[in-house]
Amino acid sequence: MAATRDVASLKQLVLGRKDVQDLSDTETELPPDLMTVNMGPSHPAMHGTVRIVLTVDGERIVKSDVQPGYLHRCFEKESEYATYTQVFPYTDRLNYVSPMINNVGWAMAVEKLMGLTARIPRRTEYIRVIVSEMSRMTDHLTCVGASAMELGAFTPFLYFLKSREWLYELLEKVSGARLTHSYVRVGGLAKDLPEDFDKDLTYTLDKIEGVMVEVEGMLNANKIFRDRMAGIGAMSKADAIATGCVGPIARAAGVDYDVRKDYPYSIYPELEFDVPLGTTGDCLDRYLVRIEELKQCIRILRQCLKQIPDGPIMVDDPRVTLPPKRDTYNTIESMIRHFKHIVDGIRVPPGEAYTFVEGGNGELGFFIVADGTGRPYKAYVRSPSFVHLSTAGQLIHNHLIADVVPIFGMINMIGGECDK
Amino acid sequence: MSTTSGPAAQPGQSQTPAPPATAPDPNKVTLTIDGQSVTVPKGTNVLEAARTIGVDISAFCYHPGLPVVAQCRQCLVSIEKNPKLQPSCQQSCADGMVVHTTDKQSTLARQQMLEFTLLNHPIDCPICDKAGECTLQKLYFDHDNQDSRVDVPKVHKAKVVDLGPTIVLDQERCILCSRCIRVCDEVAGSHQLEFAHRGDHEILTTAPGAELDNPYSLNTVDVCPVGALTSKDFRFTMRAWELEATPSVCNGCATGCNVEIHHKHGRAWRLVPRHNPDVNDYWMCDEGRLTYHELREHRLAAPTVDGLPAAWDRAVRAAAERITAAGAAATAFVLSATASNEDNFALARLAASIGCKNVFYAGKPPVPGREDGKLRVADVNPNTAGVKAILEALSHEPRELGALPAEIRLVVMLGDILPVDADRQKELGVIAVSAHERGPVAQAIVALPAAAWAETSGTATNKQGRVQRMHAAFPAPGHALAGWEIVVRLAQALNAKLAWAHAREVFKDMTAAVKPWSGLTWAREARPLALRFAGSRG
Repeated sequence: MAATRDVASLKQLVLGRKDVQDLSDTETELPPDLMTVNMGPSHPAMHGTVRIVLTVDGERIVKSDVQPGYLHRCFEKESEYATYTQVFPYTDRLNYVSPMINNVGWAMAVEKLMGLTARIPRRTEYIRVIVSEMSRMTDHLTCVGASAMELGAFTPFLYFLKSREWLYELLEKVSGARLTHSYVRVGGLAKDLPEDFDKDLTYTLDKIEGVMVEVEGMLNANKIFRDRMAGIGAMSKADAIATGCVGPIARAAGVDYDVRKDYPYSIYPELEFDVPLGTTGDCLDRYLVRIEELKQCIRILRQCLKQIPDGPIMVDDPRVTLPPKRDTYNTIESMIRHFKHIVDGIRVPPGEAYTFVEGGNGELGFFIVADGTGRPYKAYVRSPSFVHLSTAGQLIHNHLIADVVPIFGMINMIGGECDK
Repeated sequence: MSTTSGPAAQPGQSQTPAPPATAPDPNKVTLTIDGQSVTVPKGTNVLEAARTIGVDISAFCYHPGLPVVAQCRQCLVSIEKNPKLQPSCQQSCADGMVVHTTDKQSTLARQQMLEFTLLNHPIDCPICDKAGECTLQKLYFDHDNQDSRVDVPKVHKAKVVDLGPTIVLDQERCILCSRCIRVCDEVAGSHQLEFAHRGDHEILTTAPGAELDNPYSLNTVDVCPVGALTSKDFRFTMRAWELEATPSVCNGCATGCNVEIHHKHGRAWRLVPRHNPDVNDYWMCDEGRLTYHELREHRLAAPTVDGLPAAWDRAVRAAAERITAAGAAATAFVLSATASNEDNFALARLAASIGCKNVFYAGKPPVPGREDGKLRVADVNPNTAGVKAILEALSHEPRELGALPAEIRLVVMLGDILPVDADRQKELGVIAVSAHERGPVAQAIVALPAAAWAETSGTATNKQGRVQRMHAAFPAPGHALAGWEIVVRLAQALNAKLAWAHAREVFKDMTAAVKPWSGLTWAREARPLALRFAGSRG
């Protein structure tokens, strides 16, 4: 006995505390009082830079304080100091996983103020829908892939990120930039689609369909995946409506709301696609809704490729259209117009407008107050991530700390959009 | 007497006549413009009447401060019962007149006149100083915006014509509006510019035997609706649309012309006149315009004690020790006609609170040849009237510094002018609160760096007795502080009870103390106006 005691005291001397084996029964019990745990702002399993202060009873979360704002970039205030065209790069950085949709949303808001909405050429609208749906795919692929990875399924992550990269490569061909496209302009687009785009896209979509079969095979019936997702972070239909949830989260809860169907814009009325709905509103339904939306995106893209007409990519209106470079350098009229567009900005008549599109995470709205100059008097963005994040505290309540990961993954908070 | 209004007044806006009276007034007429009824004083032209209701009839040659010539034909409007389009700048308003500015005929006339004006205009925007504030650019973009139909070579003219000491002319850019000719004739009163030749060979040039060298020549650059006339001082230094404008008052002489400081990157790039019908109308003199250079010359950027840089605390303590050692009887306080009312009032108060009776004021000596009966006057100090009023009110008589009493050994002075002879100056100890390090400041025992007029909020009183407001456009260099703030620090070191925290508090005490100024109010600080988004103001 004496020897044991010596070893124990020696261990305590070295460790600076008692070794686990040497603790008495009362000492090894979990403390009965609540504990505060800090998750984030930089946490490997957190999407974006957000901090949650958790109060836990053992592993169970009894209280949480979600604190966004670590990525605040001042989108709305910055926009007041930039011309309407200069805002496009800022919108890229809202939801940076689907920047094209943000571009389109901003352009539509300015076009509404200028009364140009009905005059946008058909080809432009088709291209806008094509790039928007490609962006929706990159958004969903990232969300699903990353969430699976955080639950231990690394292969789907690699497969989906590879698929996303194929789409990014195509978007890079279209716009010149892999991530921050700034491709859409007020009244049209920066440039036309590259040569053989339809072939490239068809080939890519075929490949992605194959990947999706594989990933679904790996995840849908996977015991671990289902256990971690099913019944976790459930939200009722009434709650989803009351908290202002939109997009895949609201649809997983059974709210039949998709801007593309309910307030159709662009050429969506002419396209055939279904809006998937969930029943339980838990993480598994959110996953399934996103997977189905990916398939619908592919369906929309194939239709667009079939129907896209030839035509101009910019509305013919000197108020918004830059003159061709050749004219700019050779005639004073075009030179002045070019100068005015670049330096003073597009002259938007006084008024206010709100437009909203179906973003990767749901209704993405832009509200602009114009005062007749070349820059917005006030700009506001209704970003779905911000609304969704506000429900996070309620969703993780009474779950285990480990459940924060899939719940947060499926909320798909994008910092750039949430902290606008 | 009143303080000038806060925000930068724009030439077009400040013209607005009084709102229409309800009772029919024999001196007023009521007419209809684009369906809106408008009542204006008799003799108002249609173009001005339209501006009062926000209808912008395009015009090049019309300027509210110049005689009407109806030369550019850009302001044509249709008036009912009138078979032809009429130039609205020349057409007086009449009762019952019905004017249309947006009907097909006048819209087409505007477009065609712009196309005509642009026929031979060079493609110079990227290298033109006026780009961004050019009336031609603005009117084309607002009223025409059509593509070019020209398929013949443009007529070329001289690009660099030296018109005189201050101005360079580009004859290609000139659209022959004659505003500059009228400015020389009417404002400066000397006929120095003329048109020569005819048709598309017509050019602007100097009158036979003349040179554009009148003291108001740079006003021609302001009124030029394009970049034909450029100031040698400003050209190729800064893009106009990058500048920000802060309203202020010229510190060049006792007239106190209202100006805008155009600044960027913490320095002024030019001064332009701001409309004030009671002081300078739309104009200012060339000499005043160039006073902004002084803001960057010989500046004192840090406090000095015995000629060496020192921290504020040490410098103020050293100054206070000197004043205490010399005693009130042997100390003189010299106010400055070049400093603001607030700075002067603060120093005068300090003198009173330490019981010093030797209070004087000094300023730059008058320049007799400068007086021309227009804007320029002999007194080249911006605030002579102000410093006199302050000294009178504080029951010192306003003594201009001539010979210092023999017992004075220490001088506490504002500014950098001390008109005493060199021998006497050597015997004196000088404590200077000054923006510039020159003259007596360079020899001072303690020199305290003050903000110059463009760098701090304050007021100056011009020769008419108008108290006019100057706004801070950019920060003062180095460690410089506002003059009144330095006085407050000095007062604290001397245990005198002066505790102002803002220029507006000094102003409030000052207007309470100086009878003629009672009732004046302090306007809100003006925010710099970014010219890029102010619309072209040609």
